[in-house]
Amino acid sequence: MTLEILAYPFLFLGLYFQVFMLLTFLSGPAKDRRLRLPGLNTPKVAIIVPCWNEESTIDGTVQSLLALDYPKDKLQIVLVNDGSTDNTKEVMDSYIGNPQITVIHKENGGKHTAINLGIEIASDAEFVGCLDADSFVAPDAMREMIPCFEDPKVAAATPAMSVFQPKNLLEKMQNAEYIIGIAARHALSAVNGIYVTPGPFSFYRRSVIEELGGFRHAHQAEDMEMALRIQRAGYEIDNAPRSRVYTKVPRSVPKLIKQRTRWTSGFLRNVMTDYRDLVGNPKYGTLGLLVLPLGFVAIVGGTFLFLVALASLIHGLVRTYSITAGIPLSYTLLPRFSIEWFYMPMTFLLLMSFVVITLSVSLVLIGRHVSNTPAKVILGIIGYTFIYAFIAPFWLMRSMYDVFTGKRRAWR
Amino acid sequence: MPLATRNALLALAITVAIIGTIVAAINHLDRQRIAELDAIQSQLATDTLSVETQFALLENAPCADLTTGTDLTSEVSSLGDRLNVAESRLGSNNPEVLRLKKQYTLLQIRDYILTQRIADTCDVEPVTALYFYSNEAGACESCDRASYALSYLRQTYPQLRVYSFDYNLELGALKTLIAVEKVEERFPAFVIEGKRSYGFTDVETFQELFPKDLFATTTATSTKTKR
Repeated sequence: MTLEILAYPFLFLGLYFQVFMLLTFLSGPAKDRRLRLPGLNTPKVAIIVPCWNEESTIDGTVQSLLALDYPKDKLQIVLVNDGSTDNTKEVMDSYIGNPQITVIHKENGGKHTAINLGIEIASDAEFVGCLDADSFVAPDAMREMIPCFEDPKVAAATPAMSVFQPKNLLEKMQNAEYIIGIAARHALSAVNGIYVTPGPFSFYRRSVIEELGGFRHAHQAEDMEMALRIQRAGYEIDNAPRSRVYTKVPRSVPKLIKQRTRWTSGFLRNVMTDYRDLVGNPKYGTLGLLVLPLGFVAIVGGTFLFLVALASLIHGLVRTYSITAGIPLSYTLLPRFSIEWFYMPMTFLLLMSFVVITLSVSLVLIGRHVSNTPAKVILGIIGYTFIYAFIAPFWLMRSMYDVFTGKRRAWR
Repeated sequence: MPLATRNALLALAITVAIIGTIVAAINHLDRQRIAELDAIQSQLATDTLSVETQFALLENAPCADLTTGTDLTSEVSSLGDRLNVAESRLGSNNPEVLRLKKQYTLLQIRDYILTQRIADTCDVEPVTALYFYSNEAGACESCDRASYALSYLRQTYPQLRVYSFDYNLELGALKTLIAVEKVEERFPAFVIEGKRSYGFTDVETFQELFPKDLFATTTATSTKTKR
């Protein structure tokens, strides 16, 4: 019971944030965004594809860009090879001669340098977007994106990101998580609470990029840093819920932990150093008072709850072993449950967890619905609900360890 | 009021309402549990009285007709399980739990006496174990293990009748039983086949306290005939 009480504040905050997002989803501004029609305006746009050793996926990425429903003379594709050591250069060179595509090879300098070079080359584009070379866009993604920029205060817009052809359970779990992200970003955009413009197909108003300066290394989280810089400058970040982009995700737990360690430590480092002034600052509204503080709570709370659960589990196992020692296993392992309501373990923790899980599932369904993402999510939801919580604490703890010890890790 | 502020306040109200609903639902369930315990206890009190009356009426009848006591025992055991759940949910100091626990203890004592009377009258010798524990912090380190071992033995050997008592329960009848059986305040304490013993080490040593022929068969008979 004592340990259970420690979970209550985190469950309260988790529930509160979910309710906030659902309310915002139902609000007028969010509805207006959902009702927005694909743009008839076709301003000049450029899409930068930074590549580093992406020989197996770059071709598919470029093909999906070429298939975009957008005037070809208004869409420039800039492929930037950031010193790849595999066959990426040869694949990219096969597109030389395509009037829409510009191919550049440069020394390895990091993703931000590749994006900045691409932006520099696409000098006449009104809007510039990025697309990671392991991601693929839906044909109407560009037309869905453009209406976000009708409001001159909007400096950037994010897409609806999900997993490309999820096959194994880990990918399906991540897909459920990404689709929750679609719902979350869609809702938060209505209150200007977005804190990251993800690498796959986020778009920027070029004039704002020029005003604020290009992308920075930003602790391997250049997309988050740019979003925070935009927010600090007083601009808004919108969301195009039907601008679909599919991205490849880690297919093994160690790779997932590595990727998420990079994201989480990037968040911590940016928000604890250069953007500390945003946290808890009413000037930045939902972002400053809710999203960023709860980001910290999620990292600390996730780790704390995991450790508490682990301690409870170990304590329970030791106690059970001590109590049952000497009793035949045929008796000890006999399943004991009763369908009588009297014996149902209806505890506060259980019911709260049930409500939080139900709201999470509803967010997955909302995300899928608003984005028209063709995804089978049942297995992903089950995995996300019951397995993810046992994996996530490892990258949370690893991130905190890295941040507090100053350890830096390679991108891959 | 800006949308974000309005939603933040509304979300707070809804979250508090959800939590309030959960707390109310749990309290309601707990009250229902108490109500169900009350209903079972009333039924058992009636049954106990009925059996005692039957016993008095059929005092001269063949002992084969006096099997009702076995049914009662299983119901008493069921009430005990439910009371344990209620105690763990509501706490051992909850007044309603304490009241029911006292009534349950009384029922157990009455069932124990009834079993003894059947044994004396019908020339049978049931295997009974009185088990005394304490819920006070630090008073009984091995009571959980002893309870589990007794549950195992009771389920494996249905002819074994186990009566569990909270030694510190303020109940006159229990104090008298403790005095009659001369049970000291050392835990866990057992009275098995009229012999007192204290402490619990392991189930094998514990089994030595019982008659050997109890473990010779697992056939579910309620009593064994006196030799």
